[in-house]
Amino acid sequence: MQSSSRRMGVMTDVHRRFLQLLMTHGVMEEREVAHLQKHCYKVHDSSATADKLEDFINNINSVLESLYIEIKKGITEDDGRPIYALVNLATTPVSKMASDYAENELDLFRKALELIIDSESGFASSTNILNLVDQLKGKRMRKKEAEQVLQKFVQNKWLIEKEGEFTLHGRAILEMEQYIRGMYPDSVKTCNICHGLLIQGQSCETCGIRMHLPCVAKYFQANPEPHCPHCNDYWPHEIPEVFDPEKEGEPTISRPHRKSLRSRQH
Amino acid sequence: MLQKHKSRIRPSSQGERDREWSRGEEAPSTSRGAGGSQEPRGSASQGSRRSEAAPAVGPRTQKQLELKVAELVQFLLIKDQRKIPIKRADIVKHVLGDYKDMFADLLRRAAERLQYVFGYKLVELEPKSHSFILINTLEPVEEDAEVRGDQGTPTTGLLMIVLGLIFMKGNTIKETEVWDFLRRLGVYPTKKHLIFGDPKKLITEEFVRQRYLEYRRIPHTDPVDYELQWGPRTNLETSKMKVLKFVAKVHNQDPKDWPAQYCEALAEEEARARPQPQPSAPAPSSSSSSAAATSS
Repeated sequence: MQSSSRRMGVMTDVHRRFLQLLMTHGVMEEREVAHLQKHCYKVHDSSATADKLEDFINNINSVLESLYIEIKKGITEDDGRPIYALVNLATTPVSKMASDYAENELDLFRKALELIIDSESGFASSTNILNLVDQLKGKRMRKKEAEQVLQKFVQNKWLIEKEGEFTLHGRAILEMEQYIRGMYPDSVKTCNICHGLLIQGQSCETCGIRMHLPCVAKYFQANPEPHCPHCNDYWPHEIPEVFDPEKEGEPTISRPHRKSLRSRQH
Repeated sequence: MLQKHKSRIRPSSQGERDREWSRGEEAPSTSRGAGGSQEPRGSASQGSRRSEAAPAVGPRTQKQLELKVAELVQFLLIKDQRKIPIKRADIVKHVLGDYKDMFADLLRRAAERLQYVFGYKLVELEPKSHSFILINTLEPVEEDAEVRGDQGTPTTGLLMIVLGLIFMKGNTIKETEVWDFLRRLGVYPTKKHLIFGDPKKLITEEFVRQRYLEYRRIPHTDPVDYELQWGPRTNLETSKMKVLKFVAKVHNQDPKDWPAQYCEALAEEEARARPQPQPSAPAPSSSSSSAAATSS
């Protein structure tokens, strides 16, 4: 019997199509999710008044609970855009990737992940990642192939590439936070404001605490003299702007970075 | 407007990588999911999950069964993405483990969840084949592709062409005839294609492995030739009428312009409409609105 005491939602084809399409995406921005919801109502039940997105998703999540799956909301680390991903709570996230990647490719991801986590900036250069290809488990991988595999990770939204450097995509953070905390308890960083896993952000030059950029933006919003929330020393970084969906033009987070890595080869 | 940012690159089809579920310690199989360093989040109680692996015999708690069903559902969803039929042996090996004795019951519960929550119907590919696939019970609509970006599979178009060709030629076609036709569309068996990659491999290996097509050698031919027919997945996912309509649309004609094929398709439709026992389906296809899996 259902063990949850929470009220169980009711699934209709509107919800089912929504879930199916969200699943093929892996991760979506809030505006895309809202668009998707509208689309699903249009297909199945055009006369119905659409639930508020939050209620719509809560309803689905109440049904997904017994399957240890959840539609999770997060924000991108760089500019704080809200994103949604279907997250698996029962098994390790890497097993989700396991059906898409070969053993040596998964190991390449793991190596990249370790470099990213160990780095000060939250970025690992492609050169440093590619230097590890000789140590991969499984079938031998050449550097050229490894470059393509890294691009595949970018396209499937596990990694983000910026100017030849790689960091974790918001999707990977949503799906892997627990895994990463479990695997690398000594090297993970957390945000002083939201206490979530932090890959990239700003840090206090005096006491060393770190903050997500969107958390910095919110915390120091309209504060002309930002000081560290921990040691109260002057906060010497540029304060980013709070994400504003109204001001948004084209979303940028999940646009594939097609920049060739070739020029960075050595 | 929705951005068009989706990956255009299909998962590489090069080679038959043995896609082992488990990849060493850092990627435990789902059957060991609860035991790893990973703590499940969510509000579900975790107490009973710790002892999950302990009793090899004896009754299992509802919680343990619920978790097994959850693992099974996720396994089936992930495996289905590659469109390769899921073998009973793999389900047992990678998910069920000690729960092997409850295979039928757990599979039935997983099927009920897949149907109710996701709109996928779990069916056995052929009776006694011990291979399962998921069939989408929701009709695809054109705007899905737009919402989805480019992630739809471009190879589906090629598959539909081949399926149409087979049906129009009397349900069996020689491989050489397929290439004679595809050559006219600029698809050559030996030439790398921008979208389809290696077309020969795609048609005679990938689609065959996914069970859309049957591919077998025609006996006593010199030079050796092969023939193609519809595979069991095609019969489950689509119908002669749908394929005929596709062919008619491509030719900008009416399905009735091919009377023989039209009659055959109509006959198939009627045969399917007739109520029949379906021993091949492991689960009742009705989508129960009851959220709880029935206890055993």
